[in-house]
Parts: sequence; structure tokens; C-alpha cells
Amino acid sequence: MSRPGGGVVSGRASSLRAGATPWVFMAPFLVCFAVFTLYPLFQSVILSMQTTFGPGATRFVGLTNYSALVRDPLFWTALSNTCLYTLGSLFIQLPIALGLALVLETPGLKGRGWLRLLLFSPSMVGVVFAAMMFALIFEKQTGLANQGLHALLAPLGIDWSLDFGWLQQHVMPALIVASLWMYVGFNMTYFSAALQNVRKDLLEAAVVDGAGPVRRFFAVTLPAIRPVAGFVVLMSLIGSFQLFELPYIIFNSTAGPDNRGMTIVLYLFQSGFEVGDLGYASAIGWALAIILLACAALQRLSARGEEAGA
Amino acid sequence: MNAMGLEGGQSRVGRSGLWPDWLPVGVAIMAGLAAVSSALVAARPAQASAEKVMWTFARPHFLMYEPRIKEWNASGRTRFELRLLSLPAIERRMMASFLGDVPSADVIETERRPASRAFGGPVEAVGFVDLTDRLKKDGLLEAINTPSFSPWTSRGHVFGLPHDVHPVMLGYRADIVEAAGIDVSKIETWDDFARVMRPLMVDADHDGQPDRFLLNMWETNQDHLELLLLQAGGGFFDEHDRPILDNPTNAHVLATVTTWVAGPARIAADAPNFSAVGNKLKADGYVLSSFFPDWMGDIWKHEIPSLSGKMKLMPLPAWEKGGRRTSVWGGTMLGIPKAAARTPEEFEKLWGFCKELYISDTFTRDLYRVGGIVTPVKKYWNDPIFDEPNTYFSAQPAGRLYIQLAPQVPLRNSTPYNTFAMYRTVDALVRLAEEARATNRYDMPTLTKRAAELLKDAQRQVEAQMSRNVFLTGGAS
Repeated sequence: MSRPGGGVVSGRASSLRAGATPWVFMAPFLVCFAVFTLYPLFQSVILSMQTTFGPGATRFVGLTNYSALVRDPLFWTALSNTCLYTLGSLFIQLPIALGLALVLETPGLKGRGWLRLLLFSPSMVGVVFAAMMFALIFEKQTGLANQGLHALLAPLGIDWSLDFGWLQQHVMPALIVASLWMYVGFNMTYFSAALQNVRKDLLEAAVVDGAGPVRRFFAVTLPAIRPVAGFVVLMSLIGSFQLFELPYIIFNSTAGPDNRGMTIVLYLFQSGFEVGDLGYASAIGWALAIILLACAALQRLSARGEEAGA
Repeated sequence: MNAMGLEGGQSRVGRSGLWPDWLPVGVAIMAGLAAVSSALVAARPAQASAEKVMWTFARPHFLMYEPRIKEWNASGRTRFELRLLSLPAIERRMMASFLGDVPSADVIETERRPASRAFGGPVEAVGFVDLTDRLKKDGLLEAINTPSFSPWTSRGHVFGLPHDVHPVMLGYRADIVEAAGIDVSKIETWDDFARVMRPLMVDADHDGQPDRFLLNMWETNQDHLELLLLQAGGGFFDEHDRPILDNPTNAHVLATVTTWVAGPARIAADAPNFSAVGNKLKADGYVLSSFFPDWMGDIWKHEIPSLSGKMKLMPLPAWEKGGRRTSVWGGTMLGIPKAAARTPEEFEKLWGFCKELYISDTFTRDLYRVGGIVTPVKKYWNDPIFDEPNTYFSAQPAGRLYIQLAPQVPLRNSTPYNTFAMYRTVDALVRLAEEARATNRYDMPTLTKRAAELLKDAQRQVEAQMSRNVFLTGGAS
């Protein structure tokens, strides 16, 4: 026996249940996200306006940490080093990755799979391992870089000094070289995937129209892979700004000679976890977040502008 | 109908009446998995826990303490469990527990830098128990070599029981030096050292570059620079933990070190410590001498065994005639977190354990036998163990040599800004050396003047950093 109108109630309840089900599934994530991401995020804003030594010893200092940051020469050193590394990533690493992808997508290339594996494999190595390896490679006297260059250049009459300070006077180039080894293959796979989706009929039409390889690349290939390229640029930008492990390991938890390996995240770490100034570290973190948001917004704006112009 | 052929979001089991409508299958599976995994975690056999836990960071310490703690536990007193953690892990957990006022270990053995982190707030917020009165009462303030307290003393309060003294000597390749007929007893100052030893700098392959240097020192080596500054009477902070980076002594040391690492009078080269590369360079005789705190001998013995019987120790050359012939490098303490000693009874149990572990003749001998480390407890300095010949150091009585220098060990600070100040001072030295190389100017007046300018800048940076800490500058409400 059923109650009159029970069908309607049951239908509503059923529809409510159906509406609630996704939320029930998402609840564990949402709870974790709120507790472990949103709340700490909110708390870090407050922390960046405090000087603290635990909950029992905390003082509100307003924007003092932020104003100190603007006047802090170390922060600017960290920022300029990070920007230099980022530029290296964007303007050296990505073109090389794209070039390798283009080579690998050449029709009829033999050993394509092996080459892909070879180029991709460094990105499977942990950053800590790679950092330790490059610390040894760039070592004075015994390092592979100096020994190799010394041996290679000797027949040309050039005496390459074994004391050449890769990790002293040429810190950022050394870090960029290390990151090239690690990430070129990784970014190459994105470009490879994008290149495989470039319409063949358009390329063939361009050939028929008499376009050379360079013209085909800029007129057909590049516009076709632009969304993926935009994504890779953005991810590289974010990853580069978060540079930490490489200099931290290579320079044995310091920022290297005269802070030449100091990056924003390394400075954040030193301020928060070596000096113990958690408020200042939070301010550095927010400065980094704002820089990244601005970069992402710029990238989106430029992408939209190009889409609108297309 | 949905993709599964079911209507209205109801499951087949639900419609059959065997499954409650209000519980979606997915949720039930997730809840079931959560329950099973929780039960598995809960059912894991708990570690056989002792009443109290001690953390240490060094494997040699762990191996040395373990049998002694077993003996202690067998004696029917409060049982202790010893755990070996990496130093960064101890630092993070220790600070997390101090800042949150929650328990961590009951006794913590830590080094100078992590310990100094605990002194960054108001003195009453330091997470370690203030041991000053108890040390006085037990006569330990007089019994222990005074400089050994300095890294654990903040604003007049002692928060740790010292483990060591760590005087520094110069370890040199006796086989090469003595074969050249050089008598190191004639070396009194660093100037003497450079002059007397210089004939040993040779260019064996005739490429215009020396293949051998007199000293393992480089402008980027923070530990070496700090010990040289302390030896000279300079350093980073005064006895009240105020920054003193820009003092004339520091400028003189930086200028002198620059002439060691660059220019025509260069005597030093980089053979990094604790690395295979550095060990090879040392074994090859690329550098003839290195700084040797008492703990370093044990490391070389294991890492560069080929130099056994070829090394000897001598006091550090002084910065001026009659000056200090040693310095200090490293340091360890035992501290009791406040959260572990909330009652006097709890404190007594822990304090008794700490004293038994650190202040005993057995420990003194173990410490020297296992790690070559000299105890800070002065009454044990007459122990014959320190007169035993050390085969690594060509049968020299290494312990006795270190003990003779122990009273001269310089005082240190306990401020958490020491590392920051050290980095900034090293930055100044790196710049000074590079500028000297670029301009080819190595005269001491020019270098000293420029060092003073660079140190002034370093001082400003340290002051700016410290000024934000309202708890140390007195601005806290």
C-alpha cells in the first residue's frame, strides 16, 4: 500500500538524493582541501602580518614584513636569480625541447622510440640525484666538466683551468645546464604529442602552395601547437619560479657563493626554517604567489589576444 | 534511464530491497575501505615503548649510547628508548613541538644550529628547561669547561648540558713536511706558517700552476672562516648576541684569507670536507694541512685510511705572536624539553639520565675511544686514555694535545642569526677575493679597507634581519 502523493515525495527525495550524491563523493576531498589548503592559505596571510614564536608569542606587525621585503637586497637577489633561471628555461630549454620534438616527428626517422626513451629518461631521475650528479660534474679539479674541457681543448692549445669555478662564478649557467638535462626530454614529449595532432592536410596544402619548411613551421605548425605551447610555457614558468632542490643540494643547503644560487623559494626556506622568521617567510611566499598569478594572467591575456586576432 | 540501465539513480540492489536506498554503493565501498585500512593501522603491533624517549642525530653517538642505555634500563630505573633521527628531522620536530607546546622526545641531543633556533623567541618561550640553577647546584658550572656552555646559553640562561669542547688543531702531512726537513715547532703565527712551509708548494708537472698547496681553505668555506674569525678574537656576535661583523679583526682576517686563496702569495686550495672529491685531493697531497677539531680525526680515519701514520697535529698558528693557538668547530648538547618535564619528579628522572649519560668516566672514555672527542668535564682530563698514542696521527697523544688547548677555546654565541651572519660574512669574503683577482691588488691595506666596507654592508643586512624579531629587540608586548 502506498500513501497518496507518495510518488511525488519519493520522486523529490530521489532527485535530492541524486543531487547530493556527487557532493557526498566529493566530501572527503573538499574536507581535506578546506582543512589542508584553504585554511592554511588563509592562515598564511595572517602569519605574513605577524612576528611569531609560536601561538604564545605572536605580535601583529601589519605590512612590516612586506615593506621589509621591498627593501631587502637579498630578496631582490633571489628574484633576479630566479628570473634569470626562468628566462633560461623559457628561451633555451623550450626551444631545444621543441627542436628535438620536430626532429623526432620527422617522417621515416629510425629508432624514434629509443630516442624518445633516451631523451625522456633524465626526467625520471629524481632532482636530488641529478643535483648531486651535477655537483660532482661541476666540481673543480676533479669534475667531469673541467676535466673534459681541459682534455678536449688541450690539443687546440687552450689551457682550460681545472680550477674553473662553475659553481662559484657561473652558478646560474650551471643550474640552467642541469635543468636542461633534466627537463628538455619531459617538455619534448608535450611538443611531440602536439605535433602529432597538427593537421597533415594543412601541411600538404602548404607544400602545394610552395611554402618552405620554415614558412610551414611558422604558418601551420606553430599556430596548431600554440595551446600546448602556452601550457608548457606556463608550467615551465611556474616550475622555474619554484626552483629549490637543485641549488639547495648542489650548494649543501646554502645559497652558494655570494648568493648566486639564491632563489625565491630557497630564501623563503632559509627565512622560515633556518632563521625561524615564519612571518617573513609567509610574506615571501605571497610575493611569489602574486608574481606567478601575474605571469599566469599575462599568459592568458596574450593567449586570448592571439585567439581573438586569429 | 542512465548509462547503466538504471532508473532514477537507484541501484539494482536497492530496488531488490536488499540494499538501503539511502546508501550509494560507491559511498559504501569507500567507507568499507576506510574502515578496513583504519583497522589494519590500528591493529599494527605497537613498538615496544619505553617510558621515555631520547633522540640523537649521529650514528656514532647512537652506537655509543645504546649499550649504556641498555645498562640503565636493566638497572630498574625509568626505561629509555634511544632513537636515531637525521638532524633536520630533529630540528623540524623539535621546533614544531616547542612552538606548539606539545611533547616530542623527553631528551634531545642536538647540534648548535638547531638548538639556536629554540632561542629565537622570548626567553620564557624557549622550549628547553632552563638548567642554570641545577647546574650551579650540582657544581657542574665549575666542573665543565666554561666555553662549552656558550652555544647553549641564551640571555644568561643555560639550556643544555655540553657534550664536548671541540678544540681545533692543524692536521698536516707529516710524511711530506718532515721529509722536507721542516720543523713545525718553529711555526708560531700564520705568517710563519706561510713562510716556513712555502717551499713545499711545488709545480711537479711544470704547467705554471702549483700542484700542492699548504692549507685546505677556500673563500666559500663557512666553517673554516668562522673558526678563523673566532680564533682571531673576531666573530659575528658579542657576548650579548649583538652583531659585530664589521669589526677590524674580522676585516683583517678576511683580507689575510684573501691573500691565502688568491694572488701571488696564494697558499690555500679547496679540498671539500666530507666528500669523496675532497678526500681524494687530501690523499693525493693536493693540500698539506687541514683544520682538525677533535672529531675530525675519526672521520679521516674511516674516510682516508691511506693517510694513517702520515698525519700529525700541531696547534693552529696564531694571528699574532702569543695569540690563541686553537679555535672551535662544532658542538652538541643534551636538552630536556619543557613539555617532557612538567613536574619536578619528571625533571629529576630526566636530569638523572642526562648526567649519567654525559657526566661519567665511562662516557668520557667511550667518547674519546669511539669519536676521538674530548670531554668538557675537566676532572677527567687527567685520565690516562688521553695519553695513549694515536696511530693515525703518527703515534701522537692526540687527546692530550687537544686537552692542552681546551681552556683556550673561544666563546661562541647562541643566536639563531649566527648562520645568517655567517652566510653574509662569507659573501663579503667571496666578493673581496673576486675583486682582488679582477683588479690584481693584493696589498693588505687595500684589502683590509675593502673588507671593512663589505663587512659594514653585511652588518647592515644582519641588523635588518634581527630588527624584525621583536622578541629579541625588546619590542614585544
